[in-house]
Amino acid sequence: MSKFLLLTQREIQERLGQKGFWYMLVLGPVVVLLLLVALLKAADQGKQELSVLIADPGQIMDHRLMAQEEKHIQYYFLDDYLELNEFERAKAYQEFDVLVELNEKVLNNKKCFVFYRDQLGLDARIQLKFQVERRLEELIAAQHSNLSEQVFRQIKQGIIFDFRDLKDPKNEAKEANAWAGFILGGFILFFVGLYGMTIFRATVREKSNRIVEVLLASVRPQQLMLSKIVGIGLVALLQLFGWVLLLALGFVLLRETIFVNILDPSHWGQGGPERLNPLSTLVFEQLNLSFLLLHFVVFFAASFLFYGALFAVLGARSGADADGQQFLLPLIFLVSFGIFAGIYAIYFPNTTLTQIFAYLPFSAPVLALITLAKGVSLALYTKILLSLLVLVASALLLLKLAGRWYKHSILKF
Amino acid sequence: MIKVAQVSKSYQRKLVLDHVSLEVSKGQIFGLLGPNGAGKTTLIRILNQMASPDAGSVTFDGQLLGERHLPLIGYLPEERGLYKNMAVRAHLLFLAQLRGLSKTTAAQNVDHWLAHFDIQDWQNKRIATLSKGMAQKVQFIAALVHQPQLLILDEPLSGFDPLNVELIMNEIKALKTHGTTIILSTHNMKSVDEICDHAALLHQGQILAQDTVQHLRRTHAKGRVFVRFRGHMLAFANALWTDFTLLEQKETEPGLFDCVLQIRGERSVNDLMRSLQDQVTVEHIELLLPSMQEVFVDLINQKENQDV
Repeated sequence: MSKFLLLTQREIQERLGQKGFWYMLVLGPVVVLLLLVALLKAADQGKQELSVLIADPGQIMDHRLMAQEEKHIQYYFLDDYLELNEFERAKAYQEFDVLVELNEKVLNNKKCFVFYRDQLGLDARIQLKFQVERRLEELIAAQHSNLSEQVFRQIKQGIIFDFRDLKDPKNEAKEANAWAGFILGGFILFFVGLYGMTIFRATVREKSNRIVEVLLASVRPQQLMLSKIVGIGLVALLQLFGWVLLLALGFVLLRETIFVNILDPSHWGQGGPERLNPLSTLVFEQLNLSFLLLHFVVFFAASFLFYGALFAVLGARSGADADGQQFLLPLIFLVSFGIFAGIYAIYFPNTTLTQIFAYLPFSAPVLALITLAKGVSLALYTKILLSLLVLVASALLLLKLAGRWYKHSILKF
Repeated sequence: MIKVAQVSKSYQRKLVLDHVSLEVSKGQIFGLLGPNGAGKTTLIRILNQMASPDAGSVTFDGQLLGERHLPLIGYLPEERGLYKNMAVRAHLLFLAQLRGLSKTTAAQNVDHWLAHFDIQDWQNKRIATLSKGMAQKVQFIAALVHQPQLLILDEPLSGFDPLNVELIMNEIKALKTHGTTIILSTHNMKSVDEICDHAALLHQGQILAQDTVQHLRRTHAKGRVFVRFRGHMLAFANALWTDFTLLEQKETEPGLFDCVLQIRGERSVNDLMRSLQDQVTVEHIELLLPSMQEVFVDLINQKENQDV
């Protein structure tokens, strides 16, 4: 096995041998999923098993709801008005959790009051509204026209005003897509920053415990530096894919178990699935995921080499962790600059500055993924390849320079 | 085996090595001596190819020193460290493979040395759990696990307890008998006296002296003589007259004396023996050679006096 592979293998084994890596691999997605569950549950707190009394003095609903009823909501009808005081206090109504008040003019004034004893969960609210509303829509359609309920819904649906740039009439540069690309690019910089710190610390540790003197009697400093960057980079990629995989699995599990109703667009009101679940539409229909992921990996690798060399040189120049912190700050600014350049590019996609940012190695990965996520023409794709070329060339040049700086610094104790 | 010819090296305009030349023959234990900051570490790093000379050349067996020679060199640096999270055996295997051994040979060599030092029980222990002395043994093994032809030891005895100092000294001697050439950089002059064949003294980047240890000691001898005799002290003292000064005297048993004398002027040990011939019975007489410690101090003082 070549020395480079040996060193790289050692770096990988050291990281994979640490419990912290495996904890983070699992804990990262678990924390994200728990936060998601907590957020959704916070919105969904309240009573879920409901007994609903519909006060319908005009008998508009004719004691009927639409067929798709949920078992945990029981509906009862009262063909009369009911005073709130009475509903609240009378023994006969204590078994009901909710009072839906449908006055006789509900079909005209479109207003319906729902009184509850205890807070209702999000899921219960959605279902209650959905079922009562659909029955009322059916009645309105039957009462005022010969239209089918479906046609009625189509008419009822508001017109969407889609504002588009004259230069982009087909709306290829979709903003939501751009943000998706930005998130992917941000992920690159996040992991580069996170694992760049690992490169920095590992270099400082090798220098401070003097193992570097033993190693450099066998390998060239450039080999040592590059193996560290590549080894830690591969571990970063492994963790990233682990996170993606676990998060995807987690989302599927949540959808199939805890949030069956909330995440199901058919339980939502008007507008159809495209308006109800734009995230799933974006992810599964608008983005070319495999194309994006391929470029994600390529840009990740090039960015990691570029930034990794900088972190390694800083580590080699530092005597101890504490000394190095001051040098790290400018580097963190550079990583953050990529993020800000990405945000700028989303809001001002056609400015000269955005064109410049696209070729700067610090911001190129974010801008490239934003452009790729929006969808690219051949001309634009050529520009992206050019920016990748600039990034790779900068990374190689920096690795060469960093190798020299590393060599001169690593043995200065 | 190793020839350093007119090597100079500067760091940030400071001349660290100034036309240094020395030669180390095969199978020799060569002491590289010098005070702190003399340039020893820089010279050692040049031999290990961690630094390149600004001028001059280094040859290994007649060939210009290059990367191909790295597997033939073992190095134990003064400031030494190990990866604390690795197990002893895994660490030694890693370093042996870095030195160019195949995995199988590396494993065989590691097992041999672990057994040789009777530390097989440590092989699965993490380095972090070892005591300082234990870790230093592992580092010593790491330097020679690939059976190098040239072994460079920078302060190999520092940090060891007396028992382990003895162990390492014996190991160095054993390596020499197996044909390994050793460059030993140390401040431990006793070890130089005991095991080095040749020595060079480096001071402010220059070689002040280099020769066999015996010759260095002889050339710096101060004319002191040890005499053991039977007889009367008065007769002995009278015989010395003004040519010899009595420095120390001790009666080890009735009528048996150990003395140290200083020869004065142009007199010799033969003159002393002639003077004592009819006065006392001489049982032992020996010209006292200075220790390498004394040679070291002497040379440095001479150089500093010259500079003044």
